[in-house]
Amino acid sequence: MADNTIFVKHYPSDFSFLPINRSEMARYSGYKSQADEQVDSIMDEVIFDLQDAFSYKVCYRRMELLVEDGRPKLPFSFSSKSLEALLTGCSEIIIFAATIGIGIDRYIKKEMRLSPTKGLFAQGFGAERIETLCDYFCNQIKEAVFDENLTCTARYSPGYGDLPLEVQKDIFALLDCSRQIGVSLNESLLMSPSKSVTAIFGLKEASNGCDSTSPERNKCKACSNNDCAYRNSENN
Amino acid sequence: MGNKNSMNVLEYIKENITYLDGGMGTLLQKKGLQPGELPERWNLSHPEAIIEIQKAYFDAGSNIIATNTFGANCLKFDEAELKALIEAAIDNAREARASSVGTQEKFIALDVGPMGKLLQPYGDFPFEEAVKVYGKTIAIGASYGVDLIYIETMNDSYDTKAAVLAAKENCDLPVFVSNAYGEDGKLMTGASPAAMVAMLEGLQVDAIGANCSLGPKQLASVVEEYVKYASVPVLLKPNAGLPRSENGKTVYDVFPAEFAEDVANYVKQGIRICGGCCGTTPEYIEATVQATKELTPVPITDKGKTLISSYTHVVEFLDSPILIGERINPTGKKKFKEALRAEDIDYILGEGITQQEKGAHVLDVNVGLPEIDEVEMLKKVTFELQSIIDLPLQIDTTNVTAMEAALRLYNGKAMINSVNGKEEVMAEIFPLVQKYGGLVVCLTLDENGIPATAKERVAIAKKIIAKAAEYGIPKKDLIFDTLAMTVSADSTAALATLQSLHTIKQELGCHTSLGVSNVSFGLPNREIITAAFFSLAMEQGLSAAIMNPNSAEMMKSYYSFRALHGLDENCTEYIENIGKYAVATSVSVSVATDQGTGNPAQFASDLQRAIIKGLKEQAASLTKGLLENTPPLEIVNGQIIPALDIVGQGFEKKTMYLPQLLMAAEASQAAFEQIKEKMSENPTDAVVREKFVIATVHGDIHDIGKNIVKLILENYGFQVYDLGKDVPPEKVVEKVLEVQAPLVGLSALMTTTVPAMEETIKQLRKNAPFAKVVVGGAVLTQEYADSIGADFYAKDAMATVRYGMEQSNHS
Repeated sequence: MADNTIFVKHYPSDFSFLPINRSEMARYSGYKSQADEQVDSIMDEVIFDLQDAFSYKVCYRRMELLVEDGRPKLPFSFSSKSLEALLTGCSEIIIFAATIGIGIDRYIKKEMRLSPTKGLFAQGFGAERIETLCDYFCNQIKEAVFDENLTCTARYSPGYGDLPLEVQKDIFALLDCSRQIGVSLNESLLMSPSKSVTAIFGLKEASNGCDSTSPERNKCKACSNNDCAYRNSENN
Repeated sequence: MGNKNSMNVLEYIKENITYLDGGMGTLLQKKGLQPGELPERWNLSHPEAIIEIQKAYFDAGSNIIATNTFGANCLKFDEAELKALIEAAIDNAREARASSVGTQEKFIALDVGPMGKLLQPYGDFPFEEAVKVYGKTIAIGASYGVDLIYIETMNDSYDTKAAVLAAKENCDLPVFVSNAYGEDGKLMTGASPAAMVAMLEGLQVDAIGANCSLGPKQLASVVEEYVKYASVPVLLKPNAGLPRSENGKTVYDVFPAEFAEDVANYVKQGIRICGGCCGTTPEYIEATVQATKELTPVPITDKGKTLISSYTHVVEFLDSPILIGERINPTGKKKFKEALRAEDIDYILGEGITQQEKGAHVLDVNVGLPEIDEVEMLKKVTFELQSIIDLPLQIDTTNVTAMEAALRLYNGKAMINSVNGKEEVMAEIFPLVQKYGGLVVCLTLDENGIPATAKERVAIAKKIIAKAAEYGIPKKDLIFDTLAMTVSADSTAALATLQSLHTIKQELGCHTSLGVSNVSFGLPNREIITAAFFSLAMEQGLSAAIMNPNSAEMMKSYYSFRALHGLDENCTEYIENIGKYAVATSVSVSVATDQGTGNPAQFASDLQRAIIKGLKEQAASLTKGLLENTPPLEIVNGQIIPALDIVGQGFEKKTMYLPQLLMAAEASQAAFEQIKEKMSENPTDAVVREKFVIATVHGDIHDIGKNIVKLILENYGFQVYDLGKDVPPEKVVEKVLEVQAPLVGLSALMTTTVPAMEETIKQLRKNAPFAKVVVGGAVLTQEYADSIGADFYAKDAMATVRYGMEQSNHS
């Protein structure tokens, strides 16, 4: 059932709960080759420094997806063909905002002054953390709706494909992000803390042609921005 | 004014357990408020709905109702609508009060919620702007008439301070403040409950506590910390647990009976003001009143704690001495003076970080130099320090304007250095303490100078205590410096200091502080006698020392004292730390000797290798060795630049990656440090490439990419002027014209900030047509760069370097 409730989830901050994907951390830091002892030890240092820095939070809303003239009616003041295509056939949507907190921003700022290399890896680590959190959340929803014979589409964020960043304003109004999880939006539509994500995904009947691939594997595939520096080529 | 009660709310809360209201949002949703609709508009469009809910709370036993103005601020509404909404909200609350059947005392609070913008430096909203935003709301509400201001659900200490200052500057009403804590027991931006207690009591707020985010059980540790530290009444307004959905309706998982029982337990622990937040209804309040009305309120007592705070934590003055790092101070430091003149903030921050790493608990901040604008500099340094270092600061200046500016901007409760027994000085400083809070260092001197005897110094201390009390500043917020004098000039000087220290601590019950190093002026091996004096002072009960944490002798005394005084269980800290100090000097000597005897040719290839591998320490020590018999410029051109080129080319060919480029840059920077030092010994003209002004454009607060470009450019010898992030076009033009920079680099991360980049280029073309503009950033492409009129699109840091080199070769 869809309704107006804004749900909030807090997750444990220890790394055993959301294990670190080191290769993703390296990839987001712009490092793509084989392991290097020096690089490895800097990554270890960054991970060690940041062990108490994260506070994982997600707020979300589950809403009915109306269809108008055969097209999904998005709860936004902007349209997007690519998002409509993704949501075609869905009966409901989940809109969520996630953050890993502001500790990482402080650390990056400090290290950018002290050791930019560590700052760079911290930024890659932050990107890995927020993506890992989003993946975890999406899988959690996926498991939760399994009993309702529903499955999830890939998640889609403002800025992906032709979905304009302006929809951030709609999402922030719908999710009350500042109060619920402490994420705010500035005039340029940037989020603070910087390692935060908003996204939307659809729920549809499991028999309705949806496969069993996990949302995170599809996230880059679903996006039409082929020039993205972080596009995960393995999934294309 | 609007208070028609027989009793003032402050008198009421002193004697009684006071009840607040419960949730509003969920009840409005039930009455048809749509997702995304602004609830404040309902004050005018659906006044009956608001009145009905608020009347129900008064009927249930609430003493204080908050107006439906949580998000009523000038960011969301224009001025006319804002005024109409707030006044309607107050009218609604008054109507609810008038029509309620409840016989209890009833008050109306102007509700002030967070404006939803994160303040600088982690967001882009300026602190003073926030004070203005809150000020508008509070001015409207206060002039229309309410009994108190209730600032609530604040998840950031800095935002909280902005709202409290706005309240103090726009009305004389009582102020209650309640913060929203996460499951980790901290605010979103990191403050602990104790840190909030310190800051808010410093700001003389009337009641403080927690609301929202969590159910009553999850707030146990937060409540415990509040009642332990707070000397003012503590309030609590938990959620009804967590929301879940049942048949399309939002329900919360803690029901009224359980909620009331939990709150009653907290009342027994010392909570004096209670209500509910999200998901709670009049039923919850009624149950809470029933469960607590027979309880005897725990008396509100002064906890007598001496606290200062940063944006994360408190430092409490107890038996163990607090170390106040003294290195951020230009006195007698040539390099520091140069850094101040050149506005080299990195150098100053470096001094701060080093002291933190060496064990300082607080940082003294003194940036006074006759030839600089101290007000601006102190503001800047305070802002930058609290951006990256979580230690409380001690603001150290004789310039009262600078003092006020820094205290205003400080995110926490600072130490203030200093006041003394002179009437004139007390009249300047105490009003600042009264307004902004702080722990004040009080020097025991007055119009007649520094008294020679302990007795006279204690007399001055008594005078200062009495004067502070007139401003409502308690004794616990004063810390006395009995003035360490030079023992080589007067052999009884140290004794007088120690005796007054003892008396002030024992007889007046006050904390004490000393700038210990003064004692050793004019003597050889100063550190040794300073450390001995430090030990003696600690034995007399010294609470804090302004000292150099880099001094091994001082740190040895500190750890030893703690171990010997039962302050270091099992001598754990002594064992952990003392090793560094015991051998520190001999090691550095032997390393230096090794470097002096090496083979120069070996150093050369090793230096290149160290830079390519990104080994900072090695690069520095190898350069040092090489400098023994090689001219600095030969090392730069023969070793460092070739090594950087190898890495740069590797990066361009994608055999090496960004982290390696940065690691090499950092290593070469370490090498350059050595070169610079050598060159300052025998100044020769270094090769300096063109001036390069760089900035992240207006509206954009992501500067990682720009910082990387800066580092690499500096490595290649460019003279970089980094204007930071969120830089308005005019500022860029201004700097380019000022330094006549032929090169400008602009960075933008988001499509939404590219227009600001375009505008900057336009203004540069008009006012500084000589400057070539390079652009870069995540969303930019060649086409994009062309369309906004840039001279060059740099896909990465190396591309910027190459373009810059090309340009400087042309000129």
